[in-house]
This record gives sequence, C-alpha cells and structure tokens, in this order.
Amino acid sequence: MTKSHTLMVSPDAPPVQRNWWAYVIILIICVFNFLPYLYVVMTGFMDATTSNRPEPQWFFTPTLEAFRFLLFDKNLMHNFRNSLVVSLSATFLSVTLGMFCAYAIARFDFGGRDDVSFWVLTNRMMPPVAVLIPIFVTFQTLRLLDTLTGLIILYTAMQLPFVVWMLTGYFRDIPRRYEESAMVDGDTWFQAFRKVTLPLMMPSITATAIFVMILSWNEYVFALFLTSTGARTMPPAIVAYSIGANISWNVLGAAVVLITAPLILFVLIVQRQLISGLSQGTLRK
Amino acid sequence: MADLLIRDLVKRFGGFTAVDGVDISVGDGEFVFLLGPSGCGKTTTLRMIAGLEMPTGGRIEIGGRNVTYLRPRYRNVGMVFQDYGLYAHMTVFGNIAYPLKVRRMSRDVIAQKVRAVAQTMRIVDVLDRMPDQLAAGQLQRVAIARMLVRDADIFLMDEPMSHLDAQLRGHMRAELRHIQKEIGTTTIFVTHDQLEAMTMADRIIVMNDGKMLQFATPLEIFERPADEFVATFVGEPQMNVMNATLRRGEGGLVADVGAFVVPLDADWTRANALGDQEGKEVRLGIRPEHIRLAAVADALRPVEVELYSFEPTGPENIFVLRTGDVELTTRNPTAETVALARDEGSPMAIGFDPRWIYLFDAQTGRTIAQAAASVSEEELAA
Repeated sequence: MTKSHTLMVSPDAPPVQRNWWAYVIILIICVFNFLPYLYVVMTGFMDATTSNRPEPQWFFTPTLEAFRFLLFDKNLMHNFRNSLVVSLSATFLSVTLGMFCAYAIARFDFGGRDDVSFWVLTNRMMPPVAVLIPIFVTFQTLRLLDTLTGLIILYTAMQLPFVVWMLTGYFRDIPRRYEESAMVDGDTWFQAFRKVTLPLMMPSITATAIFVMILSWNEYVFALFLTSTGARTMPPAIVAYSIGANISWNVLGAAVVLITAPLILFVLIVQRQLISGLSQGTLRK
Repeated sequence: MADLLIRDLVKRFGGFTAVDGVDISVGDGEFVFLLGPSGCGKTTTLRMIAGLEMPTGGRIEIGGRNVTYLRPRYRNVGMVFQDYGLYAHMTVFGNIAYPLKVRRMSRDVIAQKVRAVAQTMRIVDVLDRMPDQLAAGQLQRVAIARMLVRDADIFLMDEPMSHLDAQLRGHMRAELRHIQKEIGTTTIFVTHDQLEAMTMADRIIVMNDGKMLQFATPLEIFERPADEFVATFVGEPQMNVMNATLRRGEGGLVADVGAFVVPLDADWTRANALGDQEGKEVRLGIRPEHIRLAAVADALRPVEVELYSFEPTGPENIFVLRTGDVELTTRNPTAETVALARDEGSPMAIGFDPRWIYLFDAQTGRTIAQAAASVSEEELAA
C-alpha cells in the first residue's frame, strides 16, 4: 500500500523460521498437565499418615502399603478381571455390530436411512444418568444385577452409537468402486466386504475399538449402581475402598496407578494405529 | 467372447430417467464406444451391463444369455473403472490375481496368467509394488491388466483414460485399440472425449439425455450425423451452426442467414426435396474445415467478415470470425493461410463449400439434408 512496500527487495536467502518458543509453550503445557498425575502416583507410594498431611509432601520414604492393602486385603485383582472381561467383550460386540450398522447406513439407500442415523446420534445426547432407574428396574426384572453379562450388554448398547457414527464416516470415505470392482471380478457382496473393504477399514476400526475400550474401562456410574460384589469393576471398587468416613489418599493414589497403568501401556503400544486410524479419512486422497 | 444385445433398456432414479430406451446390438469382437456429455446416461448404461445397477425395464443379453437382472458375478464381464478401483492393500500382482483367486484357480495357473498379461501390458517390473507407488499411467495399465487376465465374455471400460495426461492418452489409444483387436473380446468403452471415440471405435453410440441418438461407424457419425447434437458434439473445433431461412434467390434456392446469404447446390436441393420447403426456418451447419478463407472477397468467398481471434495450432490455423450476429470458426492448413492477417478486427472474406453444407430441423434438431459430398456406409459397401 504505502510507498515503502514497493521499495522492498528480496533478501538473498529465504527467511529462517525460528519457532523455538512454540516448543517452550508445549513443554510448559506438558509439565503443567503431567504434574497432578505425578503427584497422585507419588501419593500412592506414601504411608497413610504422610498422605493425609494437608501440605504437599515432595520427599518421603516410599512404601507399598497402599498397594498391599488393595491387592491382598481387598483383592482388587478380582475387580481388575471383571473390568477386563467387561470392556473387552463390550468392545468386541459393539464394534462388530456397529461395523455392520455403519456399513448399511453408508452404503445402502433404504427407506428412513437418515432417520435411523439421526436416531442413533440422539442416543448419545441423553445423559446416561437419566435412564439409570429404568435400567436398574429392567436389570432387576431380568436378573442381570451384579452380573458381567448385564454390564457387557449395557456397555455394548452404550457404545454402539459412537461406533456407528465413527465408522459410517470412514466407510463413506472408501469409494464404492472397490467393492463394485470385486463384485464384477466374481465376489459376492459379503466376500467383497470382507476381503476388500474390511482390510481398508482396519486402521479406523482399530482406532474406534481403542476408544470404545477406554470408555468402557473407565465407566463408573452404571457399574456403581448395577453391581455389588460379584461383578464390580475397577472404578466403583476403587472409590469404595479409598473413600469411606474419611478419604485414604494413599489408597486412592495407588488405585489410580492400578487403573490407569494398563490403559497407558495399552495406548503407548497402539498409539501408532490410533493416530493413523483417526486421521485416515483426511489423509486419503 | 460373445455378442451383446440390449433391448429397450430403461433406468429411472426416482422421477429422473437416466437411460431412456437404449437399443444396442454389438457383434462378437466389436469395439464399441458410448459417447456423450456427462450425465447423458452412458455410465449408467455400462453399469447396467456390468450388473452394478439393475435396470428399470428392458433386456440385456450376453452371448444369447439373458443377464438382465443377474448379479455381477454371474455375468462374466471384466471392467475398468474411471478411478481404477485398484485395491490399495494389495500388491500389483495381488490386484491382477484377485479375479483368478476368487475363481479358485491354482497358484501356478494364476502366476502364469498374471505374468502373461503383465507382459502384454508391460508392467512386469512393478508387479511387487503397491498401487500407491505407481504413476497414473501404470495404474491404468494395472487396471486394464486386471480386466484382461480373466477370460471374460465382454470387457467394459468406464472412462479409463480420463486421468492420464494428453501425451500418455495418445499412446494408450493406439495400444488399447491394438490389444483389443489382438484379444478380440467384445469391448464397450464409455467416454466423453469425441477424439477417443473417433480414433479407437469400430462403432460409436452417441447418447444425450439418456437417449441414444445415433449408432454408427466413426466416419458415418462424423460425415452423416443424425442430428444437430451429434454434428456439434463430434469434431474439433465443433461444427458452425446458425439459424437460416430457406428462400428462392437468384440462381435457385438459398439459405438466408441474415448477415449473408448462402447459395445451395441445385442437385442437392432437388435430391433432398428442399424445393417445396421454401420459407422454412432451419439450422445450417458447416464444419470449420469447409469454409474457404481469403483476405479479399471474390466469387468463391463473397462474404465479408471481421477477425475476432486467431488461434494457431501448428499444422493448422483456426480463425474465429464475426459478421453481424453470426460467429464462425474456420480451420485451414497453415501453409494456405500463412499470408493472412492475424490482428483482431482485420477484414477477411469467406465462402461455404456448397458440397459440405448440412441442414437441421430448427425444432427437433433432426438432420434434414446431409452434406452432398458425404458418403453413407451403404454407399461405401456397394
């Protein structure tokens, strides 16, 4: 605009980007985010008196007292096994069923398709607590209270809308050409789906499954109300053991370690699939 | 290998009629093109032949077998898609072998067949690569190889060359035509590129708005178009078409374009019985190469025009000219027009070759009179 702009001449080399400050900001955010977790983990290794002091304790003699209490006195491994069975089964069922629903919504032009997909979405809109009482009564009638089967059915139903919505988008991203090509080549519809579409969908399905797995693993409210001892999963169990008349902070810290460690390990192992799967739709040309 | 018979094929999507009464009879080994603008129903027709779309009405026979409502896998057709439809998770070998694996052929037979077809398509050195490591031209070859590897009755190709650059397309045209004739399998090829159709086809089906306008050899389509749409769709630059009125002038019947008058050949008007159509509104068509061009008017080039734009293509010069509200394009060899002015607005003179004038019905677009010098297939055969 002004005259000085037109007088500017290109420098001899392209300008060097100096973005070090961005890394500083990222580092600060990471530390800020990580500190609370670090302190919770530390608390888990304190003894009861140290952990109950009002001022933060940065230096102390580590002890496994809280872990011993949870694992041996309270037999938390029982709850751990319940959690594992419930979340793995629910993940498998919801992803398998959801995959076919999503495929149908993405591929076939049937009457009321838009209504079906909208209905699936609205299932997620309702706060789960709102249906707690009807579900409790239903479970009572069907004798599903405090059973793993009951929780598996419930979690599958809860996660299905999410799975269907995620996978519908990914299925739409895969051109129909692939299946049509396979069908002309001599496949049935299902063969084309299994041998051509599914392999292409694998990263997205894996990512969705990981997500669903995490959601089921962490579910607290329904597990609290629908189970007592037999089928109690980790989240309500931990609260029960650590929060009584007063809060045993060291037990809570140890519990947090026990419940999050498998998740963190799991995500570290599958993070590559998770990222590639979630970004699949946008990366493909 | 088989012939293909389509009777009164109709496809409706809700209230929209995509394909409206297509009748085709393709002989064994023929290379037939479905040509038309996008949305004319040519791809839908092809997909119905493949079984990917079920017809609303009509009948499709492959080798005398009724396949109208059969699923794709029972039709024994091979197909190449516009965006290739190659499986991204398989190697090139896996892609080509896929149709054979589906048919549960033995490993040795598959390997042997894939090698053979890879040799034909010259892609042997990329058999172990994944599709995303290949260039467009190679992807194209792989897709065609996957179609060729089967002993299909009919090959179907849906605009397979639209993603190739112009040079590669030129190569592929010659190569595809050669391979098709060598293998001898009946092939239906869908394209919107008239040049592709003209250069490769045995016969061309021109479609528009779901209707079949003409089904004939490339030469017949070019020289004796069934209607104005076919006439203007085929040929580059396209045929000049203008409104005209037939009336009696000095020395016989003339076509009055408004800005100028075009004298018509007496024998031709008699042969086409134009004499009793005096006063009729028609559309007059003439191809760019049949307009004579000069700097100053003379007996053969009586119409004075103004140069609007000059487009040299190398071997030929294209002049876009204007007079009154008529715009005309001419195409002449560079050698003949090298001396002419090239500045916009220069005065020039033109004349129509009377042997190459077409008349179309102003309402229906049907051809009233084919050019006098054009030769029909029957006449050629005789």
